[in-house]
Amino acid sequence: MAEYSRIAKGHFTSTGNAQVVNLPFQPDYIELINYTAAAAMTDDVVPFAKWDISMGQGFAVIERSTGSALVSDVIIANGFSTFAAGQLLQYGPIYQHTGSTDFSITAASPAVVTTTSAHGLATGNVIVFSNLYQTATTGMQQMAGIPLTVTVTNSTTFSVNWNASGSNYTAFNTASSTGNVGSYKQVLYPYLYAPEVAVITAINTSTNVITTAAAHNFQIGQEVGFHIPNQWGTTQLNELPNILIPGSPQYFYVIAQTQNTFTVSQSLSGFTAFNPNQTFASFPGLKFPVVVPVGDVNTGGVQISAGSPLYPSPLLFNGSGTTQVPTINGPAIIGSFVNNTSQGFIVGSGAAVGDVDAHLVGAAADVIYWRAYFSDMAVN
Amino acid sequence: MSITTTGNLGPMILQSLAPAMLYVPTPTMNYITVCDKISMPANGGTTCRFMRPRALTPPTIQLGNAGIDPPAQVPQRDIIDAQMAFFGTGCIINEQVILQDQEGVLAWVSERLAVSMRQAEDLILRDYIISAASTINAGGGSNGDNPTNLGVSDFSLVATTLDTNNAYKFMSGIEGMDRFGTGPVRSAYFMLSSTELQTDFDGLTGSGFLSQWNYPTNASALPSEYGSVFNIRILTSSEAPVARAASANGADVYYNTVLGKQAITHINQDGYSMNLIYRDPYYSGMLAQNATLAVKFAQSQAITQDTAIRNVLSTRISNLNP
Repeated sequence: MAEYSRIAKGHFTSTGNAQVVNLPFQPDYIELINYTAAAAMTDDVVPFAKWDISMGQGFAVIERSTGSALVSDVIIANGFSTFAAGQLLQYGPIYQHTGSTDFSITAASPAVVTTTSAHGLATGNVIVFSNLYQTATTGMQQMAGIPLTVTVTNSTTFSVNWNASGSNYTAFNTASSTGNVGSYKQVLYPYLYAPEVAVITAINTSTNVITTAAAHNFQIGQEVGFHIPNQWGTTQLNELPNILIPGSPQYFYVIAQTQNTFTVSQSLSGFTAFNPNQTFASFPGLKFPVVVPVGDVNTGGVQISAGSPLYPSPLLFNGSGTTQVPTINGPAIIGSFVNNTSQGFIVGSGAAVGDVDAHLVGAAADVIYWRAYFSDMAVN
Repeated sequence: MSITTTGNLGPMILQSLAPAMLYVPTPTMNYITVCDKISMPANGGTTCRFMRPRALTPPTIQLGNAGIDPPAQVPQRDIIDAQMAFFGTGCIINEQVILQDQEGVLAWVSERLAVSMRQAEDLILRDYIISAASTINAGGGSNGDNPTNLGVSDFSLVATTLDTNNAYKFMSGIEGMDRFGTGPVRSAYFMLSSTELQTDFDGLTGSGFLSQWNYPTNASALPSEYGSVFNIRILTSSEAPVARAASANGADVYYNTVLGKQAITHINQDGYSMNLIYRDPYYSGMLAQNATLAVKFAQSQAITQDTAIRNVLSTRISNLNP
């Protein structure tokens, strides 16, 4: 081994979805052992897999079980891949009408997207739509251009965190839209800095719960400010203007949170109802209601839990899955502005070419061991 | 014929290195320019904390003649925290390169590392601002998209918003002078924009846009300053953020950051910035073959006045490629 090579090892328990592994480098060779699969040796499992960067991103060479024997096979999509989550505004491939692919969106709450081929998304991913013109004057342009969290139902269906049930929304389908327009794409690294500005999709003035289109990464104790244009209704939340103390902003405090919701401590009783039913014709230049983090009232870091370090890093929703994962940067005050950039590799959920039921990342609860290398000497 | 040509007597040495290196195209780094800067002390923990007192209620109710004091107010403050992060990169250079190359490789690699570090500082600030600052979609343009292209009303709206929020402007105005083609410049906030929008700004000439060249004097103009519209002076850079094909109509979306003083603060720790580290080959392996050159720095950032910053999102009047 040359002097500057890198090697790392670890393990994780599979969720059945793609698994992100953060490292101080991007490996050029990866080995994987699915201990659970190797022990069971049932049909359609992948006990062993390897990848070299020269194969290409998303590939893998695997050994899969037929139930009685191991056979060699390959994965050519959603296998191993490396990532460098260092800058924002990077996007995945565009999904649109191609002649062999289409998608539709229901005018419902939440809006449900159905694709004609596997969408490849996981719950927690973030997408943006464009050109949701069913006709020149109808469709769903009101929700185009907004980062939206995805909840996956199955390989061809997912919902997005938007209320499109209003009378001003018309169901959309790329197969029947004028000119077959309409597309969406994944935002690859949506949460590199936290907490974030977030577009508001709902405000419940009875429960004081606010829902956001994408994750906000607010923490309990977060101090937040609202900027809500008049047409959306609940302008009493706005930071400014302040009638009684001119110039002094009004802030709210978060007392509970989930990936896409948070509850403020102050009562919103009597506030004007939130109106998500914006007209189609109003979408050019439509200003969205947003909430921003402005501070916090916390004095300590993340509390320890079973198996955690004594001084855990901040926990954030990172754009994949529904649980918070730690940043790589050590302890911080809860609710502080933190850097969430990272790099490493992804164990994808791609299937074997010869067996569509044999997935690289295994099934939920599978225990997977991995080893990753970066060689400073490559002889080709 | 026995003419001696380069075909039968070629030069022994075919090339000669031109004096001076060619320039490296480097974007202007506007984000670091407009930040407040503070240094967190050594042994100060992981997190920098800011405190801003809140205004007290002005006592506008008269005391009357009862001789009774009004109830006391409880002073409040807002707290903003930012976690420090560390960054670095470097190069491993074999001694044979240093020994044999003619162009002083250690010198220009050092320079490249320094620029790389400064650019990282700026890109981190840029992406942080995209993540955390409030947004306003431009609606004053005419291209029918969301956001629209920038219209003069968008400049007016965002300046009005910051004025209403009592933000502090960066620049005082420039008084008009008796010079052809010039006009006075208002006191102004800065807007950090993409060079790709310069054609749109030019299109607003006569409608509110004043080119930097048409200022009465350029003494206070920054090198990257393209011009001004009303109470906003525009700094452009090719590294300004652009969300490609992400608008409602599938056009590029530009993040135009408009801000006043103290909106963003850049934080280092105990001067732990711009550390250029050279390690002699002596420190590598038993044969001491490889030198290393590296930079590292500590940086954090916070929006310290959220009322003094807005990202005005816009498209272009037409999505031309520059």
